[in-house]
Amino acid sequence: MSAFKRKRGGQAPGNKKAKKAKFVADTSEAPKENEQEKTHEITVPAPVSQGKWKNKERVLIFSSRGINYRTRHMMQDLRTMMPHSKADTKMDRKDKLFVVNEVCEIKNCNKCIFFEAKKKQDLYMWVANSPHGPSAKFLVQNIHTLAELKMTGNCLKGSRPLLSFDPKFDSEPHFAVLKELFTQTFSTPRYHPKSQPFVDHVFTFTINDDRIWFRNYQIMEEDAALVEIGPRFVLNLIKVFQGSFGGPTLFENPNFTSPNMHRRQIRLAAAARVREKQMVKELQKLKRAGTKEDVTIDVTADVFLTPADETPVLIQTEAPEPKVVKKNKHKAFKRQRMARK
Amino acid sequence: MIIESSTMESEDEESLLGQESEDENSELSDSELQEAFAKGWLKPGMNVLVDKTKKHVNNVEGLKQCLAGFRKDLPWAERLDMTNLPAEDVIYKAEGKKPAVKIGDVNPDDDFQREMFFYRQAQATVLDALPLLSKHGIPTKRPDDYFAEMAKSDQQMQKIRKKLISKQLILEKSEKAKKLREQRKFGKKVQVEVIQKRHKEKRDMMSSVKKFQKGMTDKLDFLDGDQKKPREPSQAQNKVAKDNKKGPNAKRKYKDQRFGFGGKKKGKKWNTKESHNDVSGFRAKVANAKGAKKGAKGGKQNKRPGKSVRKKTKSRS
Repeated sequence: MSAFKRKRGGQAPGNKKAKKAKFVADTSEAPKENEQEKTHEITVPAPVSQGKWKNKERVLIFSSRGINYRTRHMMQDLRTMMPHSKADTKMDRKDKLFVVNEVCEIKNCNKCIFFEAKKKQDLYMWVANSPHGPSAKFLVQNIHTLAELKMTGNCLKGSRPLLSFDPKFDSEPHFAVLKELFTQTFSTPRYHPKSQPFVDHVFTFTINDDRIWFRNYQIMEEDAALVEIGPRFVLNLIKVFQGSFGGPTLFENPNFTSPNMHRRQIRLAAAARVREKQMVKELQKLKRAGTKEDVTIDVTADVFLTPADETPVLIQTEAPEPKVVKKNKHKAFKRQRMARK
Repeated sequence: MIIESSTMESEDEESLLGQESEDENSELSDSELQEAFAKGWLKPGMNVLVDKTKKHVNNVEGLKQCLAGFRKDLPWAERLDMTNLPAEDVIYKAEGKKPAVKIGDVNPDDDFQREMFFYRQAQATVLDALPLLSKHGIPTKRPDDYFAEMAKSDQQMQKIRKKLISKQLILEKSEKAKKLREQRKFGKKVQVEVIQKRHKEKRDMMSSVKKFQKGMTDKLDFLDGDQKKPREPSQAQNKVAKDNKKGPNAKRKYKDQRFGFGGKKKGKKWNTKESHNDVSGFRAKVANAKGAKKGAKGGKQNKRPGKSVRKKTKSRS
């Protein structure tokens, strides 16, 4: 039960009646004819939509096992934003995908948004029209949830959104199919019992860089001053199938590389760079080693050789005679020499 | 020559009708190559096996049929969808710049541009849709007394508000700190100037007192120093103005004459007819003044008294 804030000073009883009967009577009736409802106060509550809710669109939003907290919060945010949605328990990954169709049938839903998490890293989103219609598989990136403090806007819970599409959606046939799918899935049916009669926020779908960017803005002023509410995410189209969660492929995105391939490419690039560096190093080593030559012959040895006459080589076999030292007998002794001086 | 592996496979099916190749696992065995050579598909040289480029499915007809099959023709009031280009960029127009993107792609790596693009697209939708909504009778403005559950709880909104306020406070604090720093710097400058001025005044006072003591002046005007002050700044200003009018210094002029524009021109004639007739250096006042006064106040004020006089005053004081 939501907490209704009651304004002090009393309200018109008609309005109060409208709030209390939100789950019972059609809220879109509230702004008109308060007097009628005053008289209906005691009568049996009217049927759910008073016959005005015609567009019976129900979306089943659920996921497989192994999703992380961000995905879980985003899923909850989507359920908050879309009052025509239903929740279901996590599907076991062992089951094949076409089981989802059966789940949808059980829940009486004709659209489905299914989140699939692989390797605890990659998130895939299926948007499908349940019994026979087309379905599309996307890779989801850049998820930001409602709870982020930078998303300062707020809107009524269950108010109907305006949908805004990029003109590029009309250029290609696969985008046209996606546009129709998104319109039917995300727009809240008029007079839905859980919806609010006011239109106060707008969903934007833009195509940029071959991806679909989703934003949610609150309409603050009548002059189109907007504030972002969130959530926000980016969808990268993988394939469009003719059937729901299967069937022949109608369109395949040529620019899509699976996240595994992407990671592998990065790793290969890094490895290639390392190998290249090593090769360059080895080449340099070889170069340096190759240019070195062992110097055995001295090229400059003949520089000072001048042609000269051959002199006979004399080999002395006997030692030379010792020098005869003649002592000077006439030399006086040192003391006497000193005395003389 | 590049052989596509797929063509080779189809070829080999035909050629091996009734034949058994020895190695069925390999794609191109010798017999197959021989067959291909016989048919003239292989040519001498290096033959490289290449994978055929993958064909991506784009079944336009199928897509159109599918769309026709599942689309629901609902009135606009049910769908509330619009397709439009972003609204005009007011900021760019105001600055006079051309918008960076007309219909082409915004650079996805430029976050601000990209988000502004989405914002303007939403704005355009809102502007176009509001009249339509009023036409269909769908209200957009919530009345003040309509209270209902919001997508974000009050607690969440409180958190957001607190964060915004704290951001603002931080900004203000940093601004204050910057201003204070600037003020301190300025204050220091002013303080230094004031101190210097005081020192100068003191010096002047002392020097004028000494002059009086030594007998160079006999007026006691320096004691009434405060009265003169209001006049001085205006005098100083007039002086400054006059000096500026006369142009550069005489020294500067002389130097310019000698060294300016490449310096003295060599071999210029000295006593020519033009230089003789040139009387610009003649000052009538200077030439006709008889017994020029050495100073306006009188010589003695600026002149230093003789030794005897100095001795006398010294002994006296």
